[in-house]
Amino acid sequence: MTLFNRMTSAAIKLQQVTKSFDGKVVAVDDVTLDIKAGEFFSLLGPSGCGKTTSLRMIAGFEMPDSGRVHVGGQDITDVPVHRRDMGMVFQSYALFPHRTVAENVAFGLRMRDVSKPEIAKRVAAALAQVALTGLEERKPAQLSGGQQQRVALARALVIEPRVLLCDEPLGALDRKLRQQMQFELKELQQRLGVTLVFVTHDQEEALAMSDRIAVMNRGRVEQVGAPTEIYERPRTRFVADFIGEINLLEDGPHPRALRPEKIRLVPAAEARLKGTVETANFLGGATLYRVNAGGRAYLARETHSGERSPRAAGDAVGLAWNDTDVVSLES
Amino acid sequence: MSTPLNKQPFDLGKTAYLGLNLLLLAFLLAPIAIVLVFALNPTPYISFPPVGVTLRWFVKFFETGDFMRSLWLSLWIAACVLVLSVVIGGACALALARGHLPGRAFLTAFFMSPLMLPAILTGLALFQSYLLSGIGRPVWGLIMAHTLIAVPYVLRTTLAVLHNFDRRIEEAASVLGASPVRVFFEVTLPLIQPGVFAGGVFAFIVSFDQFPVSLFLVVPKGETLPVVLFNYMKFDLDGAIAAASMVSILLALAVVLVLERLIGLKAYVKL
Amino acid sequence: MTTRHPFSRRGLLRTSAGLAAAASFGAPSILHAETKTLKITTWGGKWGDIMKATVLPAFEKEHGCTVSADQAFPFVPKLQVSPKNDPLYDVLHTNSNEQWLAVVDGLVMDKITAKEVPNVADVYPYAVSDKIVGVSIFTSAIGLGYRTDKDITPPKSWKDLADPKLAGARGGYLIPVNSLGQCHLMMLGKIYGKGLQDLDAAYKALEQLKPIKLVDFTGQMEKMLLSAEVVEGVIHDSGVYRYEGANRQPVDFCSPSEGVMALEQVLNVAPGSKVKELAFAYIDYMLRPDVQKLLAEGVWYSPANKKVKLEAKYDAKLLTTPEKVATLIQPDWKWYNARKDDIDARVTKILKG
Repeated sequence: MTLFNRMTSAAIKLQQVTKSFDGKVVAVDDVTLDIKAGEFFSLLGPSGCGKTTSLRMIAGFEMPDSGRVHVGGQDITDVPVHRRDMGMVFQSYALFPHRTVAENVAFGLRMRDVSKPEIAKRVAAALAQVALTGLEERKPAQLSGGQQQRVALARALVIEPRVLLCDEPLGALDRKLRQQMQFELKELQQRLGVTLVFVTHDQEEALAMSDRIAVMNRGRVEQVGAPTEIYERPRTRFVADFIGEINLLEDGPHPRALRPEKIRLVPAAEARLKGTVETANFLGGATLYRVNAGGRAYLARETHSGERSPRAAGDAVGLAWNDTDVVSLES
Repeated sequence: MSTPLNKQPFDLGKTAYLGLNLLLLAFLLAPIAIVLVFALNPTPYISFPPVGVTLRWFVKFFETGDFMRSLWLSLWIAACVLVLSVVIGGACALALARGHLPGRAFLTAFFMSPLMLPAILTGLALFQSYLLSGIGRPVWGLIMAHTLIAVPYVLRTTLAVLHNFDRRIEEAASVLGASPVRVFFEVTLPLIQPGVFAGGVFAFIVSFDQFPVSLFLVVPKGETLPVVLFNYMKFDLDGAIAAASMVSILLALAVVLVLERLIGLKAYVKL
Repeated sequence: MTTRHPFSRRGLLRTSAGLAAAASFGAPSILHAETKTLKITTWGGKWGDIMKATVLPAFEKEHGCTVSADQAFPFVPKLQVSPKNDPLYDVLHTNSNEQWLAVVDGLVMDKITAKEVPNVADVYPYAVSDKIVGVSIFTSAIGLGYRTDKDITPPKSWKDLADPKLAGARGGYLIPVNSLGQCHLMMLGKIYGKGLQDLDAAYKALEQLKPIKLVDFTGQMEKMLLSAEVVEGVIHDSGVYRYEGANRQPVDFCSPSEGVMALEQVLNVAPGSKVKELAFAYIDYMLRPDVQKLLAEGVWYSPANKKVKLEAKYDAKLLTTPEKVATLIQPDWKWYNARKDDIDARVTKILKG
């Protein structure tokens, strides 16, 4: 049984959008983004980078100082929030504490003057979709964090929005539950085909779920691309540094970056550099070594395939890598 | 050997805490108990131990036209004050918490100022301005005066609720398609309601018990109960005063309980 | 709520009448068509009951007017705040000390004479003496009330209150707020010093009366006597005499040999009153023998009108002959009020603790 219908999704376009608060702090600085219809798009960056403000401008909570916002080909910059027809999931879930689960989910339908029997049908379907059947009459305070999260999701999706906005929706969940919800959310998004804009500061989460990621820093977009592209080919030093571990090589005119897993630990004869192991962190599926070579530290990740070749602190090792794996960064 | 039971050691701190609470409770309730004894005692003066039990003072209270008229007037005024101060105080609190008004701190202090001023001065000042502006002393003037004193209570409780208010909840409603007006009635109002009405209960009681502000503003045959009681006391200090006090206390209690039932003051917001 | 309408409507009428008066001086006849309202102050309690039940309705009928009687204190401050040309009260009824406060600010007239109020011709001299502004319509005698069942010698003199046996069982007043207390203080000056104005002697004597139970209202003193918390205390005669017949209590009143202090019920007219004739008529009415008799016997006040004949039991106790009236000592409130702040500070210090 299809519980949610496949939705008509819409593309989103931010055009040279700038937003400052109190006339001073520039939160979003000349940002242009093209988000395709049906795409899982993440805005990734540290806190204060402008990702949430960008999302809030798409939702309509904030008015850009300059620039335009388009959704589905329409300029919606001046359309008030309640007419934008979007779904949104907040970090704090923002459920209505004075209403039951069913009433929470029904809210958006009620605002759209959907008939009562129709509301009942769709609420039941939505709750079934997020596996909350039977909890209709509970108040939000009586639910666990994961259940509240699901109510928030059902509430946002039941109106079949063109766009689903998620502001760090999994931030409050514990690690295990978070991972499970990542899968569920991704799966749901794919099935519904809804355009999903996902704000997060967690690079792993962004890499795992997104079709594309925009990495933001200080109100600007540093790089937009697929997760592999962002990871493998970071364009700027900030992106390289923010996503995963990185070795920054600053021996030439431009800084260059090399991922730890691209460094091989080899016998001295094949080595580019010779060094000593300072620490070896066992990560389960891999070991992360910190190697001192020529007075500076390198990170090298060695995946355990088959036989392990343990090295301990103090061991002499050689380091080798392919030049093609070194990425030149914009300075 | 069996597991030894965890014997609760004598906890001095806990006992002292309990004792202090009982003491405070006794301190709060003792005056009411004394009033009750006085109200039921047949002698027309406070005597202890009481010489008997009688309802004659209650009968006298309910049979005296002045008392009844002033009781109804006080209730009527308090009800109006409740409604007015809830509307005004609630609106003020929203404007102060949400309005991005310049000089917010000053405005808040301004609206709270009736609490700072001795009420007798407020009453006198209003009396003077009413007379000078030719308004006289109509009942609505008295209601406005009480409202002035009562608004800060509503303002304070509402601001407290608004302070802890998660505005994302309103945003969630608006993104789901609720216009600002609907957001207010569907979300904001229900959520701040307990704070507003807690203030409203204060407002009712402040008005019902109000003496200093009423003192100058009541007109002959239009005195509120506290003023009538005060003047009665100057000439006839008998059990009818105590009976009136008991009735007032019970009425105030009834109002609080009814409002609690209707609105559920502690439903989901802890004050 | 039905009770509120008459007032607001009347308030509206009054306001509009005022506006009309201001707007159209040329057409006073319109105003005459309306029922005049006389605004007075009056006491509550038994006095107020008689006034509302009998005295005022009869006056209203006689003069085709309405009387708005304010029983809610404080009268003088309210009058003070209201505009002089439209005073809150036409007739102010207070004790003498407050009239002296009011006359300083020009809130009431200096004297009421037989010219304005014919019945003034028939009052005892004290009622219009130089110690009175306005006219006194009744007086009480301030003396000593005592229990008859507590095995004490009935007092004869003011000095008997200092009897060591009465320590802690004698009663007085918070002097700053009660005129009986103020009278008592002056009397102490007379008994123990050179006269009513000998404050030093009075302070010394007051010191000797400690420990003493203090109250703010006379009504409280009555109850203290009734509950025997006070065995002997300063009080006015009517506060004791009213417990007679079916209400009999073991208390009695003593008029000390040195004389009793006068507690006058004074009426006076606000100079700015818009119904001055009616105000004078009201005072004249209150001095009429029949009205005087009704109220005197109702609350045990001594009538000011010489021509009043009371029933025997009242006649026996109240000040109804020139000889008895001669025992009244009238305090000089003008003198006292001028020093009140100093006296208050001093007695508060003495009676503290």
